[in-house]
Amino acid sequence: MSSNTTENAKHSAEHPDGDGAGATDEDKKDDRMFECNICLDTARDAVVSMCGHLFCWPCLHQWLETRPNRQVCPVCKAAISKEKVIPLYGRGSTKQEDPREKVPPRPAGQRTEPEPGSTFPGFGFGGDNGFHMSFGIGAFPFGFFTSTFNFGDARPSPAPRGTQQHMEEQFLSKLFLWLAVLFIAWLILA
Amino acid sequence: MAGLSPSERRLQKELMSLMKEPPPGVEVDFDLAEQNLLHWIINMEGAAGTLYEGERFQLQFKFSNKYPFDSPEVTFVGNNIPVHPHIYSNGHICLSILTDDWSPALSVQSVCLSIVSMLSSCKEKQRPPDNAFYVKTCNKNPKKTKWWYHDDSV
Repeated sequence: MSSNTTENAKHSAEHPDGDGAGATDEDKKDDRMFECNICLDTARDAVVSMCGHLFCWPCLHQWLETRPNRQVCPVCKAAISKEKVIPLYGRGSTKQEDPREKVPPRPAGQRTEPEPGSTFPGFGFGGDNGFHMSFGIGAFPFGFFTSTFNFGDARPSPAPRGTQQHMEEQFLSKLFLWLAVLFIAWLILA
Repeated sequence: MAGLSPSERRLQKELMSLMKEPPPGVEVDFDLAEQNLLHWIINMEGAAGTLYEGERFQLQFKFSNKYPFDSPEVTFVGNNIPVHPHIYSNGHICLSILTDDWSPALSVQSVCLSIVSMLSSCKEKQRPPDNAFYVKTCNKNPKKTKWWYHDDSV
């Protein structure tokens, strides 16, 4: 990022070690390849997601706990789950897990026989951006009764007159009134 | 690095990498950040060739001790708040990665980059339509606002 445009000359000058490449730099790069995407340390108790991203198991576990109902890969936002991460066992990683970690043990590796894939896509639509919209047809008429026929109780105060929001609210209120009228007419006629 | 909490450890790493390889147009106040790793001030420049060319802005980052699992609280501060359809005059920013779409793989650098690119894609300098109302009624902490992300174009 700090590359070579003239605007950056000032910044680059502050760290002269940039050009002195060599074995150490390469080593560093190798290390960085195995950094956990969450804590930025070299991944310990490493696991890799199906989408190929590397994490420490404690880090990933904490993230999955943070948003239990929307578990996505921190890097690419692919669906991710505890069952679908693969532990990495390097040659030097036979030592026992640190007992201070109060997280469930890293999931074990598993082999599944290939089978015709029919993964259930889930209910989410727009699940990625975290904005769910659902219009419940089920409670449709009752919503009107509760919102239209509840005289004299406190509702959020309306927007001040003349603002755009006021006009929108008025419009919505009329729209829903007509919808309710139509709906009741339909109930009677049908 | 001894004695640092995990969030401070990670912030320390981010600070180091920003010091080593500062991204163009972004300058961290290192002295301030080193005093308190949970509170950063970042000076940024409007990118060349955009409506904000030549302007300088200050961003404030506040981190909780749950960082990076919890998103940082990011606001514009100082006397020049960019005029932009997603930036309120009190410095609050309507940007999905700062709340709903936050991920622990994001970083200070990637947030800065997103903000620079959000500024750069602006075609007309104006405040959000509900600026006056929002600024009067909002919580001091932008993360308490229930943002509604509706416009991906800017």
